Amino acid sequence: MSNLVVTNLHKRFGGLHVLKGVSFTIDGPELIGLIGPNGAGKTTLTNILDGAIKPNSGTVYLNGERIDQLQPYDVAAAGLGRTFQVTRSFRRMTVLENLYVPALAMGREANRNEVHDKAMSVLEFLTMDHLRNEFAQALSGGQQKLLELGRLLMLDPDVIILDEPFAGVHPKLMEIIYHYIRRVNDEGKAIVIISHQMDSIFSLSRRLLVLNYGDLIADGPPEEVKRDAAVIEAYLGAEEGAEQATGA
Amino acid sequence: MRQQVPNILGLVAIAFFVAFPFVYSGADYDYIMHICIIAFFYAILASSWSMLAGYAGQFSFGHMGFMGIGAYTTALFCHYFYLSPEPTNLCTEYQFGSTWLVVVNPIGVTSTTLTQDCLRQAMATWGGSVQVTPMPVWLGIALGTVMGGVFGLLVGLLVLRLRAAYLALFTLGFAEILKATISAEIEITRGQAGMETPALFENGITLFGHAFSKTDKLPPYFVMFGLMLACLAILAWLAHSKFGLFVRALREDQDAAAALGVNTTRYKVLVFVVTTMMAALAGAVQGHYVGIVTPNNLFLLQMSLVVAMAVIGGVENFVAAAIGAIIIQFMLEMLRNSFEIGGLVIDMTIWRLVFFGILLMVTLRFSRNGLIAPMIDYFARGHVAKETVEKRLRGDEEAEAAE
Repeated sequence: MSNLVVTNLHKRFGGLHVLKGVSFTIDGPELIGLIGPNGAGKTTLTNILDGAIKPNSGTVYLNGERIDQLQPYDVAAAGLGRTFQVTRSFRRMTVLENLYVPALAMGREANRNEVHDKAMSVLEFLTMDHLRNEFAQALSGGQQKLLELGRLLMLDPDVIILDEPFAGVHPKLMEIIYHYIRRVNDEGKAIVIISHQMDSIFSLSRRLLVLNYGDLIADGPPEEVKRDAAVIEAYLGAEEGAEQATGA
Repeated sequence: MRQQVPNILGLVAIAFFVAFPFVYSGADYDYIMHICIIAFFYAILASSWSMLAGYAGQFSFGHMGFMGIGAYTTALFCHYFYLSPEPTNLCTEYQFGSTWLVVVNPIGVTSTTLTQDCLRQAMATWGGSVQVTPMPVWLGIALGTVMGGVFGLLVGLLVLRLRAAYLALFTLGFAEILKATISAEIEITRGQAGMETPALFENGITLFGHAFSKTDKLPPYFVMFGLMLACLAILAWLAHSKFGLFVRALREDQDAAAALGVNTTRYKVLVFVVTTMMAALAGAVQGHYVGIVTPNNLFLLQMSLVVAMAVIGGVENFVAAAIGAIIIQFMLEMLRNSFEIGGLVIDMTIWRLVFFGILLMVTLRFSRNGLIAPMIDYFARGHVAKETVEKRLRGDEEAEAAE
């Protein structure tokens, strides 16, 4: 059972206070949407959770282990995986090799044959098995998104952060990503989706976190968050937000 | 079958180079053998650099510096350390049982003219009654290799946070500092005068019932050829292991590799250690083969040559880089012959480098993965696109049938 506890995270870049005491907890296989306007601090929060950058203060615990001072590869081993806003596949490596990397790094499979079999089943699920020997650079943008998701299946973490998984993706591939998210979530993994595509976020998530200029301004079920005055103001501006909140 | 073509050609090439010294009988035998030995030397450097830069994406320009560390370690070791059954009472010396480890005092470039070092003074006093034993060359080579790895480890740790141009500049700076230090420490390293080294087989060697003197080319030919094959075998094993997979992931995207659990720190340092050990090994053996090491033949220009060899062969394939090095070395030698066009003498000793430069520029412009690597890829991966399309069509047909 995944358990992520984020407590009072602060991050400053020079004079810019990007995260101002963010706290939240993920208990079990939750499906969470993380939204906020550009510059809200979503990517910074992700980078801290992933170990790529260190917070100025605050703590992150994953399954009882403190991870906020660990290197990204130790965070991955602890059970947190992520994708990137801009796809970062290993372009001059084949699709299969892309999938081998996380599995071999974790070393959970007994031998290479097991790794290969697992990779093939992942590719079949992602409907990409015919591309297995192609270099990743030969894939379309959407297929590269799928490949990133496939790598996470090979990593097999407890908590998954998907950064803009739907951006620039063909509707047909989007269906596969929806299916992926639901299946992985049903398997007991917690998923955090960062996206600007509100339709997707609202249809998938059971809980929403809203960041605005480094503050966590809302945390609750999507329907509730949708009506939150602070959220409306953050997205639409003070004047229009007030009008919408009063039903004008 | 088509995928096996590179392997078959590789075996043919190995058989050719094994047989060559026995079947070639030209008047320029020693010269051709020398070119082969130097070509194998560059092949080790180019292929190991290919693993570092082409596979792992660590564009180090200090590779010749590590080669120099190997060469100078064994040169210093063989120059300053001796075993003697008697104490000299002049040198720094340590007793081990009935043997004395003698450390000769450094006296710079005047050792053979104005002053004698402590050991030579003692030997003059003994008048030939005491036999002093020099250190084994192979121990010096082993020490040189280890020292290359130690410096590779240190530099690897120092450049952990550096990427691309910053890494290249750092390693270039490291090599230049090394060169400057060796040049400046005349007392110990004899500076630009260089250090003489004993031959690989100082007392000759008998092979297949035939006695070879220390100047014969065949023994060093097979030593360097064997080392090249050993290095290529190690690189092949590494490239096909998870090490190879991880360092390529490191090259592609260090942050993404780390996010997927690859210990980027460990593999970045490891690839430095492995490849710098190979460079140091090649340098140490070459130092003993040539008989002298100097700071001049170590660094920037030589580094450019190794980079060019790897790039022309194909930097992302260590076999292609090695083949490139061998071809370029032969080409540079063959282009030495000057010729005359309409009374105009073309001095190829100068122009050959221009041709070489043009070849490099053309390769970079039109075939960025070199000239040899695409040929290997053609055989090894030529079937992939066809297979992909076939699988896709088969998948579509199955989907239609299911509907």
